[in-house]
Amino acid sequence: MKKRKIIFLISISCLIFFTISFKNFRFDKCRRPSLYNSQPKIQSSNERLPFHIKRQQYSSNHILVKFNPHLSDETIQATIAAYQAKKTKRIPRLNIFKIEVPEAMTVEEILYAMSVNPNVVYAEPDYIAYIAITPNDILFKYQYSLYNSGESIDIPGSPRGKARADIKATEGWEETRGEENVIIAIIDTGVDLEHPDLESKIYSSGYDFANDDDDATDDNGHGTQVAGIAAAETNNTEGIAGVAWNCKILPLKAMDENGEGYYDWIIQAIIWAVENGADVINLSAGGEEESIALEEAVRYAFQKDVVVVCAGGNDTGPVLYPAAYDDYCMAVAATDYNDNRTGWSNFGPEIDVAAPGEWIISCVPTWFWVPDSPFPYDYGSGTSMSTPHVSGLAALLKSLKPWLTNSEIMSIIKYTADDVNSNEHPGLDDFIGYGRINMEKALVPIKITG
Amino acid sequence: MGKKICIFIAIFYVFAFDNFSLAQFQEEGNFEKINIKANISFEYFNRTISWDDECKSSLKSYFLTLSPEYKTQGGFSLKPILGYSISNFDSLIFKKLPLSTELEVGGINGFILGGEIQKDFFSIQDFMIGVQSQFIYYIGLEKEWEIPGLAVEGTVKGRPSWMRFFIGPVITYDAFDYFSPYISVNYNKLWGTFSLEESIQELEGKEDKKISGMSKLSIALGGSFELLKSFLIKSEACFMPYKDGIDFGIKVRVLYEF
Repeated sequence: MKKRKIIFLISISCLIFFTISFKNFRFDKCRRPSLYNSQPKIQSSNERLPFHIKRQQYSSNHILVKFNPHLSDETIQATIAAYQAKKTKRIPRLNIFKIEVPEAMTVEEILYAMSVNPNVVYAEPDYIAYIAITPNDILFKYQYSLYNSGESIDIPGSPRGKARADIKATEGWEETRGEENVIIAIIDTGVDLEHPDLESKIYSSGYDFANDDDDATDDNGHGTQVAGIAAAETNNTEGIAGVAWNCKILPLKAMDENGEGYYDWIIQAIIWAVENGADVINLSAGGEEESIALEEAVRYAFQKDVVVVCAGGNDTGPVLYPAAYDDYCMAVAATDYNDNRTGWSNFGPEIDVAAPGEWIISCVPTWFWVPDSPFPYDYGSGTSMSTPHVSGLAALLKSLKPWLTNSEIMSIIKYTADDVNSNEHPGLDDFIGYGRINMEKALVPIKITG
Repeated sequence: MGKKICIFIAIFYVFAFDNFSLAQFQEEGNFEKINIKANISFEYFNRTISWDDECKSSLKSYFLTLSPEYKTQGGFSLKPILGYSISNFDSLIFKKLPLSTELEVGGINGFILGGEIQKDFFSIQDFMIGVQSQFIYYIGLEKEWEIPGLAVEGTVKGRPSWMRFFIGPVITYDAFDYFSPYISVNYNKLWGTFSLEESIQELEGKEDKKISGMSKLSIALGGSFELLKSFLIKSEACFMPYKDGIDFGIKVRVLYEF
């Protein structure tokens, strides 16, 4: 009891002291040097991209705080109350608190005050991640990413695709088409649960963290596209083929209708996915800001043997988070129909592999269906489109060899990739990592001759 | 199953040695009646093997063995076998490794160890009825191969081994002076293991593939030709039928009697 009183008094003193002394401090001063100094600012240099991430960076009304694990709930409540703040949610397992910023303080002020409190392990803004694609023209032709015949891919102004500049899906399917018990969590804008090419593939209705309800229906379109690439119903004489024919989709909505989502939604979705049996997490989204909480979430998933596959980003800049958490995630870059890296694909040492991400046809929500088009499908570009190719392959590997760990699956995907830019950058490089994924090599026995 | 067979073989050989030493050696003067022959034998077989319960491929083996043969007047012979072999396991597929591989690496050198016993029991007119049994063990030398087409260096290391055991009656026709044709029908079992270790950076795995000959029966037709008084050539063709086909093997043996 005495200890609690002391902690309470210290917290109050700190709050008063820092509120008075640092009324006009700049936010970048409050950053912990070890955390932020090495992080360059991301520049949006490519104006032709379908999305740019220079938008609001973090929530103005709540933050994420992690308290020392030995603190009791009462002490935590008292500490939060000392700042006149309110706890709104506790993210299970990671013990991270989402705290409402008091009216009298700015995000920066409460963050600084919290960060010097000895009871706080860290406090950080709840950053906003953005999806990496906005669907454009409706045009259904075929999926060069899975099998590139070298024919024209029927996109205005596009050259003919290079034959076999693809992920060798048809060869990989000879070995496995996936198992129903392998689940790919699509953490995105939700999934159209009634799409004809997806409805039979939905494992459960998932959860909507953006609206805090259990309806993870897609109100943007991005998540449906991503889900379709990873695991659309295949061989059903309808629509497109998914990479993992038989694996199931767990839709988790952590991005709103504008394709934006707070890190806390993503963190909650990651935890939810892990707790609900996901084998693979596909995150075709990311933010430019580093976050310890987000890193903790992907580490948690990794430690629970889940493969986390994340989009590298589309800004010709550094790799986004959480893709940049190299120890726990696979970061995916984008190639095109000629096996060239796309000009807008982000780069850095965290990039592990690449997959086709330029003009990828996939499902769009039925409400998005343009009347002139005979099908609810559309093209999209971005590392968002590359990522589910990798997630699908991870799910196929898990189906084929359930005894493999997530770390082994990640290594297999990397080491079997084709080094398609070996002329300019032989070996592992910052642009496409180990190379463009190859399903045949990852799944089909490699012939060794004497 | 393998353990039972090994125990059976052990009992069989213990019994054979026991029979050989006690029944023959303990009788005074019998030691002088033992014939000693030097054998050089070449054998080839091509056998269909099964693995993983459903897959089939073939094992081709060539081997050259040297062995002394001790034969008593009572018609009992004992032959320790030592030799060298090249065994070719065609298209073994390893799917339990982190990265699946299919081996088509040709012949792998190895050593052959084993023994053979034969006992003539009785004769009916010109036919001698006896029984023969052989056990050989091929111990392949470890070999390493690079895995092609990877973004990083990776290798697999293989070590094969197989065993063959047969036992059955032999009927020899002794009416000719310099030629003795024979036929034998044997229970003929082939089994073994191919161990493959994979190493690709931090990825490591090991898979032991149990192989088993499809045929459990062999019919051997052969004959021994006495070229000189102490110099014989034996040749034999062996057929091993199984459900979907028939395997075969040949054996040529040169014997010199001291």
